[in-house]
Amino acid sequence: MQAGLSTKNAPSPKVVLPHYAYGAIAFIAAAIVMFFAADEMVVNTWGLKIYSLVHILVLGWVTMIIFGALYQLIPVVMEVKLYSEKLAMTSFILLGTGTPFMAYAFYTSFTKGNMPMMLGGTLVILAVIFFGINAVGSALKSKVKSVENRFIVTSVFWLLMTVVMGFAVIAYPAGMPANVKAIHIHLGVIGWFMMLVVGVASVLMPMFFISHQLNKKYLETSYWVLNGGLVILLLSFFMAMDPLVTGMAAISIFAGFALFVKYNYDAYAKRLRRKLDIGMKHSVLAFSLFFITMATGLLSAFAGVFGFSPDVVVKLNLVYMTSLFYGFLSALILGQMYKTLPFIVWLKLYQDKVGKFKTPLPADMHNQFAADAHYYAFVLGFVALIAGEVLASVILIQVAAVFMLIAALFYAYNTFLVLAHKEKLEELVLPKPRARARVKNSIKK
Amino acid sequence: MAKIDNLSEVELDVLDAISTVPDPEVGVNIVDLGLIYEVAHDEENKRIEVIMTLSARGCPVGDAILQHVQTVVGNVFPGFYVDVELVWEPQWTPALITEAGKAELGGEF
Repeated sequence: MQAGLSTKNAPSPKVVLPHYAYGAIAFIAAAIVMFFAADEMVVNTWGLKIYSLVHILVLGWVTMIIFGALYQLIPVVMEVKLYSEKLAMTSFILLGTGTPFMAYAFYTSFTKGNMPMMLGGTLVILAVIFFGINAVGSALKSKVKSVENRFIVTSVFWLLMTVVMGFAVIAYPAGMPANVKAIHIHLGVIGWFMMLVVGVASVLMPMFFISHQLNKKYLETSYWVLNGGLVILLLSFFMAMDPLVTGMAAISIFAGFALFVKYNYDAYAKRLRRKLDIGMKHSVLAFSLFFITMATGLLSAFAGVFGFSPDVVVKLNLVYMTSLFYGFLSALILGQMYKTLPFIVWLKLYQDKVGKFKTPLPADMHNQFAADAHYYAFVLGFVALIAGEVLASVILIQVAAVFMLIAALFYAYNTFLVLAHKEKLEELVLPKPRARARVKNSIKK
Repeated sequence: MAKIDNLSEVELDVLDAISTVPDPEVGVNIVDLGLIYEVAHDEENKRIEVIMTLSARGCPVGDAILQHVQTVVGNVFPGFYVDVELVWEPQWTPALITEAGKAELGGEF
């Protein structure tokens, strides 16, 4: 047997699995908070309940699952063992404890650096630092110098910048530039989430679609165009430059994402697996929703140039962020759960049993009805949410929250079904040598 | 070592045993996916060798597939030492998938 395969590098399941459980619960919590924050989503100045919702969604759901999945995927992408499982567990506890404190502080009308906010913020920043050490420590051990790898390491750098900036806003609000929130958001959104998603998705999508001979130059160019655009965008915010500079930076970032989408579209078009399973169906949906993010993000960046009214800008930004977090990233996570979690549990239970018993496949571990149900509930919820934001309708946003709650409950059901999967072994019937007629031409010449 | 389009009767038995191994991600057996390159059955030294590849480098279930091949062949041929070797050259391409494999993957190419 060969050494160096990623199963040997895989971390203990107990490091990864709690992240999925926590994420599923946070997704439920986000839908409930959205229901009660609906009235604040139709006015021009965001209320604090929205900040609570955003932090539950971004930290408890998206970041939590991304951290957990990355502990499993870093060994796949970088072909090394994770730098430290203890750091990973500590980071999970810190992020898992810090997020509810922050959500609570925002929800209960936080006005300055009060105790729950400072405590929550400190725990989250420590969680991120520990995660960063783990990711960079693993990357330094890796001999794989791929562009996907580089995207992941760069995203960790931007993540550290994001939390430092977020913490600075709370601790020293007076010393910050006027549009510090825009800087914090863009560091987090483009630098952290999107940079990471570009790196990881560009490894996973071709692998799951079984696509070969893709043009890596798209990714290489995307890396430089995205990071260059982001640096210029941040400078334009910090130094309050001409709106045209912001617009040019946005075009550069848009081009970077377009190249990433092109690379993944090619993987989709050249796929050998024509039938899309539930995981890939969600992924295709996610990429479709990403077009809304790209279009609204670009328009928002040109708001100053086009002279959009504040009302339009607020709505544009709301749809931009919603389509990214509740659309693209959530759909991607909903789907990629089916491509990662069952395999982790399957390897844990069945790795030593294969060949001795008939075992279920990872795809047999979830309930298909629940998977289909959360797919359609999510689509309806998303449509209602965008409509509610555009039409400033509290009722529509509350309807969206109910659909999102249904989606989250079905998703959590499947997550816990996989997590609680009990070993099922059947007798294995093996072919007897020289006892059967052969079908030689089943083997391709 | 015999390429899989030129196997002896007993080596075809080995291949039959391997064809019970599915790729856990795709659900198609690894023979139809074209992952098996060579099979050798050495009666005298009680040794069976399998040379195979995987469709993606860094495949998270790669070890489990190799383990599965080794166990299954060992069960069908008790008393034999089974060596499963993983190679990356020649690189696997979709052209290696059998007609049956293509049908199971869902379609047209």
